Amino acid sequence: MRWFRFSIFVVAVTLIQAGLVDIISLINVRPDLLLILLVFFAIYCNTTEAIISSFAIGFAADIIGSAMGPQMISFGLFGTLLAYLHRFIAIREMPYQSLAIAVTGLLGGGLAFLLTYLKSQPTPPNIFTVLLGTSLYSAIIGPFLFLPSAWLMRIKTHHFVGS
Amino acid sequence: MLFTWLMLVGFIFLFAPQKLANNFQSTFARIFHWPLSMGRSISLSVRAKQLPIDVVPRSKYNQLQNHLANVQEWLNQTREKVEKLSGLRDRPIWEGAKLMIADVAPVSGSSTELILNKGEDDGLREGQFVLGEESIIGTVSVVSSRTARVKLITDSTSKIPVTIEKFDVIRVMQGDGKNSAKIELLPSRKYNVKVGDEVLVCKIPGFLNSAMITARVAECRRDDENPSVWDITVKPVCNIERLDEVVVIIIDGEK
Repeated sequence: MRWFRFSIFVVAVTLIQAGLVDIISLINVRPDLLLILLVFFAIYCNTTEAIISSFAIGFAADIIGSAMGPQMISFGLFGTLLAYLHRFIAIREMPYQSLAIAVTGLLGGGLAFLLTYLKSQPTPPNIFTVLLGTSLYSAIIGPFLFLPSAWLMRIKTHHFVGS
Repeated sequence: MLFTWLMLVGFIFLFAPQKLANNFQSTFARIFHWPLSMGRSISLSVRAKQLPIDVVPRSKYNQLQNHLANVQEWLNQTREKVEKLSGLRDRPIWEGAKLMIADVAPVSGSSTELILNKGEDDGLREGQFVLGEESIIGTVSVVSSRTARVKLITDSTSKIPVTIEKFDVIRVMQGDGKNSAKIELLPSRKYNVKVGDEVLVCKIPGFLNSAMITARVAECRRDDENPSVWDITVKPVCNIERLDEVVVIIIDGEK
């Protein structure tokens, strides 16, 4: 893993998530680019790299969120679980990648909202709608962003295919 | 091990004071102020272009604003009514009774009657007692499907069984057609009635579960024709002229 490149990439995606992602929002539902990134690194990196990147992406999500900690814990936890799961089940097909994004988004988002609530920080009134909408939207566009992400990070996405 | 340490860092952030967490966020916002503000302005300009789809004509906008104002006012009135009713309902004497708030309109040419904007459809029946400022002011006399007429205690045809405070004796209170009512046939030797004594409507099963105040003794003198009894004039305790709404007591089980 090229960590400097990774840092620049995560900061850039965080800035896009904070400032630009509203452009593609549908009915006030925005995709979570950091969630897509989390699943991408969990799928295409080795377990150690996936764990570090999951926590780092969670930290970035907290920086632009309402509280520090909830996203880091939930992204770290579910990114790690996904990385370990990937040791046994290769998530290479786009529908499975979408499913992984949707499930990680729902579970991770649910845990993050719970931790944010426990921290007495403001949460959106329609949590379930936001959670479901964000996860589904991210799941739909996520696999299409894997290829440019892999190119930017110089990660080979097809090293299992044909080998 | 790595996972544990990173999770620990996450929990430290979670339980760290919010002020410290805010520092991280504000530092990020300060460092990346330029790209963030540029991104937001691009988002806003894109959204602004989309806005005209949602714009309605000014006349429609004004109409909707007026509708909103009316609904808000209606909501406030309803809330006040609910608060008023819940205040009354807290008392055990209203168990088994339904209290119906009705708006009042005066009857032209009559100071002893009122018109209510509730009627048979709302459960009103003849003979039901009507409260104003938590005192009995009259009874429902005529009911149509959507309105009802109230005969006030001051109406000359109104006859209601009452008792004077502290005396365990029931007499009939009859209106005099002006702004007061009379109580007669109360022996002057036995009952020491004073001005200011409270007059209570007696409990009437099916109509009133408990005695309730209706008037106060305004004048008390010996009857001219029969000095052995009092000629008592009473005045309603409620300022009926200023009422804009009343409460009708509907006892459960009434058909």
